[in-house]
Amino acid sequence: MRFYLQKVLFYVVALWFAVTLNFLIPRLMPGNPVDILISKMGAAGQPVTPATRRALEIQLGTGGKGNWFTQYGQYLNDLIHGQLGASLVNHPAPVTEVIGQALPWTIALIGLSTVIAFLLGVGLGVFAGWRRGSWLDNLVPATTMFQAVPYFWLALILVLFFTRWHQWFPYAGGYDVTTTGPSLSTQFIGSAIYYGFLPACTIVLSSIGGWMLGMRNMMVATLSEDYVLAAEAKGLRPRRVRLTYAARNAVLPSLSGFAISLGFIVAGSIVTEQVFSYPGVGQLLWTAVSNDDYALMQGIFLVISLSVLAANLIVDLLYGLIDPRTRARA
Amino acid sequence: MSLSNKRLLVRATALAAVAALALAGCSSKGSTGNNSSGGSTTITLFNGSVGNFTENFNPLLSTGAELQPSQGVIYETLYYYNMARAQKPVPVLATGYSWNSDGTQLTITTRQGAKWTDGQAFTAQDVAFTFTLFQNNEGLNTTGAKWTAKATDDHTVVLTFPSTSFTLEPQLLGNMAMVPEHIWSKISDPAKETNINPVGTGPYKLKSFSAQSYVLTRNTDYWGTGDQAPKIDNVRYISLANADAATSALESGQIDWMGSYLPTLKDIVKQHPTLSYVNTPDSLTSVFTCSNAAMGCKGPQTDPAVRQAILYAMDRAQLNTQAVAGFAGPGSMAMLVPSVNGENIVDQANASLPQSADVAKAKSLLEADGWTMGSGGYYTKGGQELDLTINVVTGWTDYDTDCTLLQGQLKAAGIKLSVNQVAQNAWSQAEVSGNFQLSLNSINPGASPSPYFIYNNYLSSTNTAKAGDNATTNVSRYSNAAVDAAIKDASATNDAAKQKADYGIIQAQIAKDMPYIPIYVNQALTQFNNSRATGWPTPDNLYAFPEPWKSWDNGIVLKAIRPAKS
Repeated sequence: MRFYLQKVLFYVVALWFAVTLNFLIPRLMPGNPVDILISKMGAAGQPVTPATRRALEIQLGTGGKGNWFTQYGQYLNDLIHGQLGASLVNHPAPVTEVIGQALPWTIALIGLSTVIAFLLGVGLGVFAGWRRGSWLDNLVPATTMFQAVPYFWLALILVLFFTRWHQWFPYAGGYDVTTTGPSLSTQFIGSAIYYGFLPACTIVLSSIGGWMLGMRNMMVATLSEDYVLAAEAKGLRPRRVRLTYAARNAVLPSLSGFAISLGFIVAGSIVTEQVFSYPGVGQLLWTAVSNDDYALMQGIFLVISLSVLAANLIVDLLYGLIDPRTRARA
Repeated sequence: MSLSNKRLLVRATALAAVAALALAGCSSKGSTGNNSSGGSTTITLFNGSVGNFTENFNPLLSTGAELQPSQGVIYETLYYYNMARAQKPVPVLATGYSWNSDGTQLTITTRQGAKWTDGQAFTAQDVAFTFTLFQNNEGLNTTGAKWTAKATDDHTVVLTFPSTSFTLEPQLLGNMAMVPEHIWSKISDPAKETNINPVGTGPYKLKSFSAQSYVLTRNTDYWGTGDQAPKIDNVRYISLANADAATSALESGQIDWMGSYLPTLKDIVKQHPTLSYVNTPDSLTSVFTCSNAAMGCKGPQTDPAVRQAILYAMDRAQLNTQAVAGFAGPGSMAMLVPSVNGENIVDQANASLPQSADVAKAKSLLEADGWTMGSGGYYTKGGQELDLTINVVTGWTDYDTDCTLLQGQLKAAGIKLSVNQVAQNAWSQAEVSGNFQLSLNSINPGASPSPYFIYNNYLSSTNTAKAGDNATTNVSRYSNAAVDAAIKDASATNDAAKQKADYGIIQAQIAKDMPYIPIYVNQALTQFNNSRATGWPTPDNLYAFPEPWKSWDNGIVLKAIRPAKS
């Protein structure tokens, strides 16, 4: 019990820290949204007069009143009530609504492909470690090469090949907007899978190598342990030795790595979403930062910090179950 | 998770991947064209939107949160001002207007026979109501001016101003969307309204909306007939994240109208005969200088001779070819776009810019001002090297290229230039607060093509502030009593000849002082696909500013185009 209490207490402190940083960082950035808006209006050929600045300040509100302390108090209070304020880019739409629109896309695309990459990588790693020197083991350098290539480069090559030279996949978007719309119909889901396939492939391709290499090496190390030898000596079937004896122990480090990457799913992948014009959180964050939309940035950072913490908490607790040693106190 | 379950999962994901591939095979056949069935025409438009759309059709806003077709396509103004060529305002929801002699009263005749899309008639009361709405909501009134509006009968509105207000004309007539009184009188805070069921008078109305795309459909009760009536059935708006995706969309024929800078555009158009483009340079790319030492600017650029030397040291032909693939138009010393405002440039000496570098002249200007060539190859004065820093936004590739080239060009004339690449936020803040030496930016036109707006915004000392305080629009801190007087004089009349004389005074002063050093008129490329619709603006017939992101002009183009014969 004490183990779990300690964990929860630790996460409460971490949460407070994350929330406070979230308050500070946007306030330390230079510039203000009205200036950016005015330079954009000018570039879009809209008349800008001195009165325009004043009107925009009134429309958007002049930001928090009082010093940082009162603003901080106000911020915490709003947070407890689930209010993240209004987005400036989409004024007066609430931040929660704007994030809510983008979040499902990111979770579906990045989430699924992260899970697929992890399962495939760990699975292949188990066999590569079991049969050292086999053809599967020789695959490891090939997959790590994909990871070593800068991600945006890999993505651009795939875009060039699969959407420009051969028009097998769409070049942009979350689904085919001309024939279907968001619903639970098979047509929409099919279209969404079709549109998400190529971006998902790039994520899987670029991250599978790490999982595979890590798992393979842990397998090799675990297989030389005495208990594996004992299990083999007992005459257990190779499958049982491989999975329940070797793999269960070897997967532990990968699992904590997986927890961290699960947390970052929500942050989306800014690069993936930029390259494929995918309507997720990564692209939203990009828009928010380039427009000085503090409220939206804070909202997105908050969702990211919360999900990283939550994923870690869950895995921490699970870890205690899988590996009883972590519960014991030194 | 037990390991046997995990094995199952691996199998399940493999199955899902196979299913996805199978689906991919099916749907790739069905998703080619944009033409929907039933013989109706749908065109697809990309206006630069990125990411998800947030539903907002409030045409009174100016924050950019309003979806762009709210202004000009769904809602209309009284008049249309064409920024692409010299042209009189085109009547839209008004059929006539007149000023009294001292510019304090504007009488507008409103259109008869126009209807809101909910069936109610458009009247002068709606116009008076809209003007009053702007007046009562300080946040919506981007002019900052005061007026009272009154409908004197069903098709006449009289606006009364406390002082001479000729210069407000394009903003009032050409930049304010008219909204129906019977709907907006019930809205308590129009600045926070998202207006998801827009009722306007425009040629198109909202058909369907989703966060990834929305569709407008033809307003069959539109007031215009013949050439003035919309002829395309549906217009779809989409968002894309980058220029590569836009190029793909254009080449594969999935987009009918977009405006992106594509360096290889000429080749693309050559390869795809259904595509065409038009280039309408409209904003003057210039080196903005913090020019006025008396207002707190610091650095060698506060010396007019240095600014003059930079003007002559530039090789504009090289900048144009290398930064914007030769798509830029020639600028002028008068800070105006010659193709639109040529007749307002008084002295022909100011109507153009040197296209190649004149290093000898640049050097002689510096030497006459007391600069001497130092040992490092750069001029010095009073022990100080002629060393300048220019701010430019990282990632604005044409500007970044310009700065790199300028570094070499100015070096040849003995001027040292350091390039400071910064994020847009920091760049704009440096300009506004006057904490910069040079900054690469562009001079944008105002509410109408009239030079008054450019001169008033960028040169008037009422629109500037000391360095350290925020300047509204005149970031160079330029302050010249003769220019101020001429700007004031031009605003007090609507006699074009009198105004032109004032512009002449201003042009003579800035040719000498050069607070903004012009480079070229930056490209504005618009691409069209002619296979579904024709009648787009052409270089010979710029009936509207063709860029799809331009409010108001959008509606004019959508009315003019017609289905291509197939």
